[in-house]
Amino acid sequence: MSTTPLARRPLSCLKASLRRARQHRIISRHMATEAAQTTASPRPLLGHNFFPLTDRKTKTLRSAFAVYPSTTVAGKKALTPPPVNVLQSLHEAQIKKMDPTGARTALFAKTREAAKVGDVLMVTHRRGGEPFAGVCLSIRRRGIDTAILLRNHLGKVGVEMWFKIYNKNVAGIEIVKRRPKRARRARLTYMRKPKHDMGSVEDLVFAWKRSRKVFSSGKPAAAATAAKGAKGAKGTAGAKKK
Amino acid sequence: MIQLKTILNCIDNSGAAIVECAQIVGQKRHASIGDRIVVVVQKQRGAQAEGMAGSSGAKVKRGDIRHAIVVRTKQRVQRRDGSVIRFDDNACVLINKAGDPIGSRINGVVGSELRKKKWSKILSMAPMQA
Repeated sequence: MSTTPLARRPLSCLKASLRRARQHRIISRHMATEAAQTTASPRPLLGHNFFPLTDRKTKTLRSAFAVYPSTTVAGKKALTPPPVNVLQSLHEAQIKKMDPTGARTALFAKTREAAKVGDVLMVTHRRGGEPFAGVCLSIRRRGIDTAILLRNHLGKVGVEMWFKIYNKNVAGIEIVKRRPKRARRARLTYMRKPKHDMGSVEDLVFAWKRSRKVFSSGKPAAAATAAKGAKGAKGTAGAKKK
Repeated sequence: MIQLKTILNCIDNSGAAIVECAQIVGQKRHASIGDRIVVVVQKQRGAQAEGMAGSSGAKVKRGDIRHAIVVRTKQRVQRRDGSVIRFDDNACVLINKAGDPIGSRINGVVGSELRKKKWSKILSMAPMQA
């Protein structure tokens, strides 16, 4: 449609423009209805639709996008229901990975034979260093981040250390001595005060090591194997001896 | 968390017993284990406490300004593996400007963060580390 004859004849110009407007309205209505339709009920697309965008000049693939069917369409079955408690399942998976035998979990579970606050524990490191022994002041139960606080005196100076029980650098945790009576507090922070301080637990550890050597019937490397072995079993073994 | 005016124990045989922090060396707000500080000697070790280093053998005197390395802090220090260590007092070891310890002996436990901060000379002098 050329514009010059239309300019000369105003009536036909009006006619043409009206027609054009009508057509445009039809198109726009069509677009609108189509859009409304998609928003009202998203049609479940079977298989993904691939839309390549080619460059006009070079005729090469410039970009592309694909439309995938939505998985959570009402009326259709969802693929996999999401876990009930995501964080809890994550912690469980991590604990299973870090503690396959379940010995560490058992050692600090809320059971009768598990370690409790007030017990004297010994933590052995995997990479050298002296094992750290001390009275357990508190147990921080936080899934994979579960940690224990040990307090000891090293050369007249009080030292406190937190250990993550699921840490791979912690080779073993052993119960040196159990508290005779159950502690009536969850956190024994009062044991930092001079009146209640246990002092050094070195003699307790020494006596325990000697007794273990007696029980192990002349195996000289008992301490080394115990440090490397499953410490849950050793912990219960120590408890039996006590 | 050693800052200005913090009172620390001096645990070497340089002759100082109690020192006060006067400055943190470096762009730091607080000093931790292995950090270098400037201290003022507040109290000398008594003659009877150190048999060898008596009145004549003391290398530093009260009022001296010296450099020191923090070796224990009451503030918790977290390690890379998630374990945390905390001592019951703040303690330091005097050094000279070059970084060599003034005393020849350390009595008391020191933090093993010194290894990371390259103070192996102090670590080798210490009887134990935690």
